[in-house]
Amino acid sequence: MSKNINKHETFTQEEYMVMKNDLLRPIAKIGKAGKIWIAFLVVVLLAGIVAYIIQETKSKYVTTSLRDYTMWGIYISNFLFMVAIGLVGVLMSAVLKLTNFEWYRPLSRIAEVIAIGAIMFGGISIVVAMGRPDRLLNLFIHGRIQSPIIWDVIGISTDLAACIILLFIPLIPSLVTCKNHLKNLPKWQLKMYNMLSFGWQGTPEQWEILKKTMKVLTALVIPLGVVICTITAWLFATTLRPEWDSTNFGAYFVSNAFLLSVAVMTLATFVFRKAYNFEKYLTEMHFDKLGQALVLMALIHGYFNVNEYLIPAYKMSGLHENTLLNLFTGKEAAFYWSVVIFGIIVPILLPLFPKMRKPLPLTIISIVVLIAGWFRLYLIVIPGLLHPYLPIQDVPESWTHYFPSVVEMTVVAATFAGVLLIVTLFSRYFPIISVWEVAEGELEGKEEIFNYK
Amino acid sequence: MKKHTYFLISCLVILFSITTSYAQDKEAKITLTFKKIDSVNVCKAFVTSEGQPVIEVPVNLSVKRLFAKLPIGDAIATDSTGVATFEFPNDIPSKNGKLTLFASIVDDENYMNSETSGEVNWGTVVVTDNSNIDERSFSAGRDRAPIYFITISLLILGLIWGTLLFAVLQVFKIKKLGKIQEIKE
Repeated sequence: MSKNINKHETFTQEEYMVMKNDLLRPIAKIGKAGKIWIAFLVVVLLAGIVAYIIQETKSKYVTTSLRDYTMWGIYISNFLFMVAIGLVGVLMSAVLKLTNFEWYRPLSRIAEVIAIGAIMFGGISIVVAMGRPDRLLNLFIHGRIQSPIIWDVIGISTDLAACIILLFIPLIPSLVTCKNHLKNLPKWQLKMYNMLSFGWQGTPEQWEILKKTMKVLTALVIPLGVVICTITAWLFATTLRPEWDSTNFGAYFVSNAFLLSVAVMTLATFVFRKAYNFEKYLTEMHFDKLGQALVLMALIHGYFNVNEYLIPAYKMSGLHENTLLNLFTGKEAAFYWSVVIFGIIVPILLPLFPKMRKPLPLTIISIVVLIAGWFRLYLIVIPGLLHPYLPIQDVPESWTHYFPSVVEMTVVAATFAGVLLIVTLFSRYFPIISVWEVAEGELEGKEEIFNYK
Repeated sequence: MKKHTYFLISCLVILFSITTSYAQDKEAKITLTFKKIDSVNVCKAFVTSEGQPVIEVPVNLSVKRLFAKLPIGDAIATDSTGVATFEFPNDIPSKNGKLTLFASIVDDENYMNSETSGEVNWGTVVVTDNSNIDERSFSAGRDRAPIYFITISLLILGLIWGTLLFAVLQVFKIKKLGKIQEIKE
């Protein structure tokens, strides 16, 4: 305790200025590597737009591999992945904030921006998968409130709105900081900061309102995030396919989302730490904690995975036999077991060793977990569709298997580029680590924060 | 020698095609009769060609459904009197009890494709109970969702969007407080 007091007493105005300079540096100057990275993302995104235009102007039967049975392909498995990643804001910002885990402070804004990008492109993935996107409006005009599809649409738009507001409100003091300390920026950028800072003066009343609103929104996004993930799972659980015939599906999806959230947070922390020289703020302690969180989430997800596959496999009822044997010993076996090993067993075992919770090893583990996680969702969607209740008979050969077309792969790549572009551009125009929140952590919430404008 | 064999086979194939195409030129006429023998529906297709009964010609029987014809069993060949006899099931659903039956000869070696149809009162009238169509239920249309479900949904949505609206209003409150502070300074 005495150690803490000493630490806070030593946090001076000078140190705050150093911190501010460090954290605002990425906005002040964009390097060559940064420009090349942004250009690369824009090119991939444009390629995806062109691919989508080709898909919509030519017959989908030619441009995509989607057929009568696999009517949902990688677009929908990618949508599930994006929704799962979208939970990062809930876990790394809201849950840690409300449970007073102080190490959340430099991570929260990164998590929220990733969440917004992922939810946005998750929604776009659904529209891309639609056979008749021109009828999108009908979903709102003629949709049934009893349908999980409508609830998915409502959930995604509500969560997106909540995440944007939750990102924006704590950003207000940071915008004033940008306006006051980054004088060499273009005029439009300074004007933008001025306009978006909504007359922030840093008065105690303003701080009180800001903190209260943040607390309310933080509490709101937790159930919202969990609800989106659960409803997405219900889209499958309420559709007649043996593989999706599960009461465990909601919890299974949520646990998967939490696991992927920790992995994506680790990756983002590593990248920002290296790219913006944030070693002082995104410390090895963060990786240590993220590694521990990865083990916990992988254990929880492993538990639900056992419920999801082992119990139906024990019964091996006629309906499940077809799809389960295909996963365990059939055509998809290598795929399935790789996903189990790299997506669940590796994150349970490796980060148990402190050496593996260092930045580089943990980031490599996280990348492996993310790739396995993407394919886990692929394995839920595609084999599930290819094993209907009635056996597939007398159909064209192309209906019996699925491999994504070039157009589909380009569009999916573009969604990833889109998320990365949102995160990159945000970090180039706004402080990606909240200066005042980190400073507040140093001061342990003392009143002095009001003086550090 | 090989060249000659090839030429001979080609000639034979052409000759066979000409012969079969001429053979298929024969027209067959099908007449349908319907009878009920010991509560079994029997449909007889009498096939004639140039006034003579045609024997051992496979006849297909089918019944008209909404989009296509539903085959009734496999094709049955005509007997020595030129009649193909079918037992017709008595559980084929129909709106008013009437069914349209089709007897056809398809891809026969000797006879051209031929089809005839007849209407018979052998259908089972489907009685549907639509008395609950106006009831509100989970599986009903959008205008028939259960009241409790609509209420709870609107309540949840109202609470969430209300909170979001509250948050947005707080931003404007912050702006107002900023202006007051500016005046003070």
